[in-house]
Amino acid sequence: MRKRHARDDAAPFVLPSGGELARLGALLLAALLLQTTVAPNIRILGTSPDFALIIVVSVALLRGCLTGAVFGFLTGALVGVALLEPLGMSALVFVVVGYFAGRYAETADLSAPLAPVVGVFMATLAADTMVAVLQFLLERQVPFWFWVTRVLLPSLVLNTLLAAVFYLFARWVLRGKGVLHADQTV
Amino acid sequence: MNRRRVLQRRIVAVVLAVLAVGLLTLSFREGENGFVHRVRDGAVRIVAPLQEGSARVIEPFRDGWNWVADLFHAKSENKRLKEEVDALRAAVAEELTTQAENEELRALLEMRDDRIYPEGTEFVTARVIARSTTAWYSTVTINVGHDDGVQRFDAVVNGQGLVGRVQSVTATASQVQLLTDQQSYVDAIVVPSRAEGLAAGSVTGGMTLQYVDKSEAVRKGQFVVTSGRSGSIFVRGIPIGQVENVSSQEVELYQNITLRPAVDFRKLDIVMVVKR
Repeated sequence: MRKRHARDDAAPFVLPSGGELARLGALLLAALLLQTTVAPNIRILGTSPDFALIIVVSVALLRGCLTGAVFGFLTGALVGVALLEPLGMSALVFVVVGYFAGRYAETADLSAPLAPVVGVFMATLAADTMVAVLQFLLERQVPFWFWVTRVLLPSLVLNTLLAAVFYLFARWVLRGKGVLHADQTV
Repeated sequence: MNRRRVLQRRIVAVVLAVLAVGLLTLSFREGENGFVHRVRDGAVRIVAPLQEGSARVIEPFRDGWNWVADLFHAKSENKRLKEEVDALRAAVAEELTTQAENEELRALLEMRDDRIYPEGTEFVTARVIARSTTAWYSTVTINVGHDDGVQRFDAVVNGQGLVGRVQSVTATASQVQLLTDQQSYVDAIVVPSRAEGLAAGSVTGGMTLQYVDKSEAVRKGQFVVTSGRSGSIFVRGIPIGQVENVSSQEVELYQNITLRPAVDFRKLDIVMVVKR
């Protein structure tokens, strides 16, 4: 993973076209439906797969940090509303994850097959850490070993295993060409 | 030019993050009829039927998975249950010797016959349509809400005992905080010793009975039910669980009591909301 000197090959940010917005909307709907209807009824290794997180990371990897952050915010807010979770928590986590996943794609030379797996792994690590910190701030119990063994490790395994499939799905929906398609501006 | 664009992107990300924190604050501070709750109401109205459909499709697979998991645990479970039955037999024989204890056992029998609820109590039958997707919350979503007369803090029970309480309500669905949630506390009483305490959930999914004085005689295998003390949202006698382990340390004021919940939370499907 070589750091790219991205300041030199900066491309102007172009507002998404109507078709692009529709495709992003379709992905948002898919993320919302999977996370609110399928994930709550699946429990593997004691946890549920985070479809929304994987799709946010995939979109950020394919479309860059700005789209990633906005897509993350909308996905998180809607998931929070529909799952009756504390509103804003998922939105905050997904904004950060979307932004930095996009930055990761913009600044690192990654082969397309490796990017989603590494991206989702790192994003899960970051998201679970942020959620644990937020839980702590909300005065809930956050035992360290419980977090490691019952939250972090299962979700790392599960999300990373699902990463490639959802990345390919997102790329198909967004009509990517198999290369990272992010804005190269640092 | 580049620098300005970089700055703009960072500003957008920061604004979105601040907005998210604002939403988080609002959702904790706002009342039940606030803007956020109304938006949530509308969203749940759309999502709840989809969740219900998904739950029905996935249910056979979940049952199959639970069945396989249960098979693996069956042998050790069988041994443990035999020991428990022996202990319970001895305990029951001992308890039957006094009249006061007899009364409590009779209360238990009545409870099993569903006579613990006052005459005229109304129930709303509901189906579990979603479970919390994170380990930090022990909650489920059920397919009844305001439209069915469900209110916040209504008790939720099933054939095995107390499931939890209604935490938030929308028009067509409600979120139930399970007894095992780390912020669930229920006034409880041990039968037949009458020791009072607070049945509390924990992040690990286990349950404890807190604030039971050391002078109280609590033994493994005894039943724990809701106390129904005045001001409590639960009527007296709903089964919460059984005492699994009792210990105490000299430096502590209270006993350390762990409970095995009466309800199998992995297999929750049909529940009843007790209307107040």
